[in-house]
Amino acid sequence: MNDEINTTAGHGATASTTGAAETAPNLPDGGRRGLLKAAAATVGGVLAGAPITGFPQIMKRDFQGITLRHVGVSYAVQREIGEQASKDLGFKVEMQNLDTSASITRFVTQPNSVDIADMEGWQVKVAMARGLLQGIDSKKIKEFDGILPIFTTGVYEGRKISRQGISPYEVMYTDGAEAKKIVEGQQQWLTFLPQVFNADSLGYRPDKVGREVTEWKDLIDPKFAGRAAILDIPNIGIMDAAQALESRGDLVYGNKGNMTRKEIDTTINALIDLKKKGHFRASWSTFEQSVELMASGEVFIQSMWSPAVTAVLEKGIPCIYAPVGIKPNGKEGYRGWCNGMSLMKHLNGKKLEAAYEYLNWYYSGWQGAYVARHGYYSPVPRTAKSQMTAAEFDYWYLGKPAAEIIKSDHGQPIAKVGNVRDGGSLAQRFSNIACWNTVMDENQYMVQRWNEFKAA
Amino acid sequence: MSLRIKPYLQLAPLILVLLLFVAAPLVFVVIVSFFRSDGFDTIPAFSFENYAALLSSSLTLSLYGKMIKYALMTWVASLLIGFFVAYFLVFHVRNKVVAIGLFLVCTVPFWTSNVIRMISWMPVLAEQGVINSALLKLGLIDAPLRMLLFSDLSVVVAYVHLFTIFMIVPIFNSMSRIDRKLFEAALDAGASRFDTLRLVVLPLAKSGIVMGSIFVITLVMGDFYVVKVMSGGGSASVVSAMYDNVSTLLFPPAAASAVVLLLILTVLIAILTRFVDVRQELVRQR
Amino acid sequence: MAHLTSSAPSAIASPRPAQAQVRAQVRADKDSRPWTFYVLALFFSSYVIFLYGPMMCMYVLSFQGEQGALSFPMRGVSLHWFHQLWEGRSGDIAGAVQRSLPLALIVMVITVVFSVSSGLGFRYRARGSNAIFYAVIISLTAPGYILGIGIGLMFSLFGWSTSWYTSALGAQLSWTLPFGVLISFAVFGRFDAAYEEAARDLGASPAQTLRLVVLPILAPGIIAIALFGFTLSYDEFARTLQTTGPSNTVPIEIWSMTQNVTSPTIYALGTVTTGLSFLLIGVAITAVVLIQRRRFGAAALR
Repeated sequence: MNDEINTTAGHGATASTTGAAETAPNLPDGGRRGLLKAAAATVGGVLAGAPITGFPQIMKRDFQGITLRHVGVSYAVQREIGEQASKDLGFKVEMQNLDTSASITRFVTQPNSVDIADMEGWQVKVAMARGLLQGIDSKKIKEFDGILPIFTTGVYEGRKISRQGISPYEVMYTDGAEAKKIVEGQQQWLTFLPQVFNADSLGYRPDKVGREVTEWKDLIDPKFAGRAAILDIPNIGIMDAAQALESRGDLVYGNKGNMTRKEIDTTINALIDLKKKGHFRASWSTFEQSVELMASGEVFIQSMWSPAVTAVLEKGIPCIYAPVGIKPNGKEGYRGWCNGMSLMKHLNGKKLEAAYEYLNWYYSGWQGAYVARHGYYSPVPRTAKSQMTAAEFDYWYLGKPAAEIIKSDHGQPIAKVGNVRDGGSLAQRFSNIACWNTVMDENQYMVQRWNEFKAA
Repeated sequence: MSLRIKPYLQLAPLILVLLLFVAAPLVFVVIVSFFRSDGFDTIPAFSFENYAALLSSSLTLSLYGKMIKYALMTWVASLLIGFFVAYFLVFHVRNKVVAIGLFLVCTVPFWTSNVIRMISWMPVLAEQGVINSALLKLGLIDAPLRMLLFSDLSVVVAYVHLFTIFMIVPIFNSMSRIDRKLFEAALDAGASRFDTLRLVVLPLAKSGIVMGSIFVITLVMGDFYVVKVMSGGGSASVVSAMYDNVSTLLFPPAAASAVVLLLILTVLIAILTRFVDVRQELVRQR
Repeated sequence: MAHLTSSAPSAIASPRPAQAQVRAQVRADKDSRPWTFYVLALFFSSYVIFLYGPMMCMYVLSFQGEQGALSFPMRGVSLHWFHQLWEGRSGDIAGAVQRSLPLALIVMVITVVFSVSSGLGFRYRARGSNAIFYAVIISLTAPGYILGIGIGLMFSLFGWSTSWYTSALGAQLSWTLPFGVLISFAVFGRFDAAYEEAARDLGASPAQTLRLVVLPILAPGIIAIALFGFTLSYDEFARTLQTTGPSNTVPIEIWSMTQNVTSPTIYALGTVTTGLSFLLIGVAITAVVLIQRRRFGAAALR
């Protein structure tokens, strides 16, 4: 954990100079303190006219005794973030980790037991269909304009974001506070607030693979027989498989995020074929497994998540996150995903106000910097920037060569001076998204066939 | 206290827990198993389509086949190990304190969470793990054995590791009730040591064996995370298929699968308890 | 014994005299052991090694340095992961343990009480006991994962909130009670009601009979039920997943953690747990030995 940063305030709109000063005593670098003070003051000044403001002291007293329950997967809902929020906001934020499946089940079957539901884009679609959420008033979100247009407009760097799969943009807007249905196009009311996102590709051991990997088809290259692994979450794993098959030239998918039965069959049959040939060493279902597989050398190339690559690097083992940008022939591309926070329907009164404070705090920078060091992105880079060193921001977000040794969240060095982050800048990665995490119309059929692959 | 209501009062706590935490939820599960699912929506209905799909699918057959295979292998291994470990502890260890001490030594690992113990098999079975390194050093193999991990072997090893205690304890219990004088009597009647085992110990330990078998088989058939982790996702199990369904909110098929599994296991256990009518043993003819 | 059985040819030819010799030898020489003892002792030791093998790796790996992974090769030596565990840096394991232990103890006590009570109740073959027996079996065989969801849903529909000592406790009881009840069947099955009658004849009240006659005889069975109750509760995952309320038990916390971190902290937890368990057992056994020695003298231990 980067102890230098974690005690600074992340107050967002209500950050006054008092806020920054009283919580920045541990900074060794007077220059950085000055930067933060200035940043906080600027932000506070610019947003002083926003609807919900109050003096920090009054707010803290107001919300005493309130506990917000934030439930979700452990890579998005991290305890340290909750602790920092509790410190900064004056009310308690209780984080609970469940895996993807258990958390959506919890939201559906016990909706009153959760206040802030942390979900992936496709899960938001499901939650909306069941009327679990209330709309988020974008006017109350101070940093709304700072959110990357990937989410708010669906256009990035001049290109329209891929619509294969369920992109965050297409599930983000709703018709009102009642959140009755999802609406296309920009609206005032939101279904969820993106909080952490990334573009996934393959991870590989450069020392074992011996060359650069830039194409998905390397995952199913016979040279790596017995040394490959794929992700065992059906609706995501099948997209990785689809990317690989399309890359190899087997077929072209209409929409990898919503396959036809025929496409599903082709994909699964190819997977079963590979499995029978012993191509896959394993299919992993937890982060920890993926790290172990790569770090121990059992596997040379696999579907992987960015922080897993970081974790392997922390152990002193070389690992690269393959830059699979879209090639001129239209193939390749990353698989994007996004986790966001939604407000459950039952929130009202003081608790609802506290929830909005929490959401705003999330965008005020501390969380953004924190997740960046895991390799994730915050939807609001401009505030994250204020909580990172310039070199860190350049490395993680802008894809520039590291100007200093880049450390992980635990203080372990993961990149030497001059290294460039795999895949380059945020802009490069996200203008190269081929598909988004999804749940398909033919989901039931797909899950069944996926289990056939596993049972083969 | 009148003889008529006394047994009901004694059974009341159990009945309460069963009603509230088993019967009531199961009613929900059964009801949902008749619902339809459309994409990721659950539609109240009364339809047999989930059961029809389940019972006619070859996937169901292969999943059950796999689990039965695991259950059988685990059962045999845990029975052999459990029987002889219990035998040793009951009949060969003379000092009671030592026996209890050894018994407790066997149970200490179980106070560390199952998940951790399962994960700790990786360093043992992995390519660079203990077993492979030892075998390589001894020159018994040329290349690391990759089939030690992420295979049927690793799954069964994990099951035996985690569940044998459930075989040992009931057998230990029933063996410790065997009157030692029976051994002398058998010896006097001319029985060899093996005969004594076969004709005296085995029948008297039958209830413990059946009980342990019920426990082990139920634990294996109902598992989903051991098989997921130890097979490296290479095998599915009946319950892990339910897990996958629930992940995308396909509750009705998962519920139907749960009901089917429950029925199959209950029938199996009912058959097992015929071998030793455990309840028969309770009734004393006065 | 060995020198006797080595005269095997004569033993096979005329079993009776040889057996008599064996018997005499056994009675005369109580301290010697049959060959099967050594075989079984070896078998038992192998089982203990099998049981502790992975645990050994775990102990060793928990002392890794900061770059430690979950398998070999070992990277560095330090107490780093114990610090992490203590300070709650990796997930909320310490907190989860503090919650899981009391819950497991409570489940253990309730399981014992309910199981013994049920064992007593089943003796009379009351009407409906058949149905209850099958209900117990169904409770055992119901897939925990789905049952847990069902309990959570039910609580939500009734407007109750799920929490440790309501839904999680109940869900875990639904898992431990079948084990406890089945064991109590086996235990009561050998229980001769004559003891109870004798106590009654001597003028003991039902409560006294229970306390002074029934329970001491059932003690080994009760210990078995207690053991299962505790272990099953502490390790219970599937049913507790949806019924635990706002905070996680140890297995859920570890499982959720593995979605995000790969950390020898869990190994450190295993090492600490084992160390504490051995300490506890050592203390308990020493206490028992000392008490017995004081009460009955050293001879009682033989």
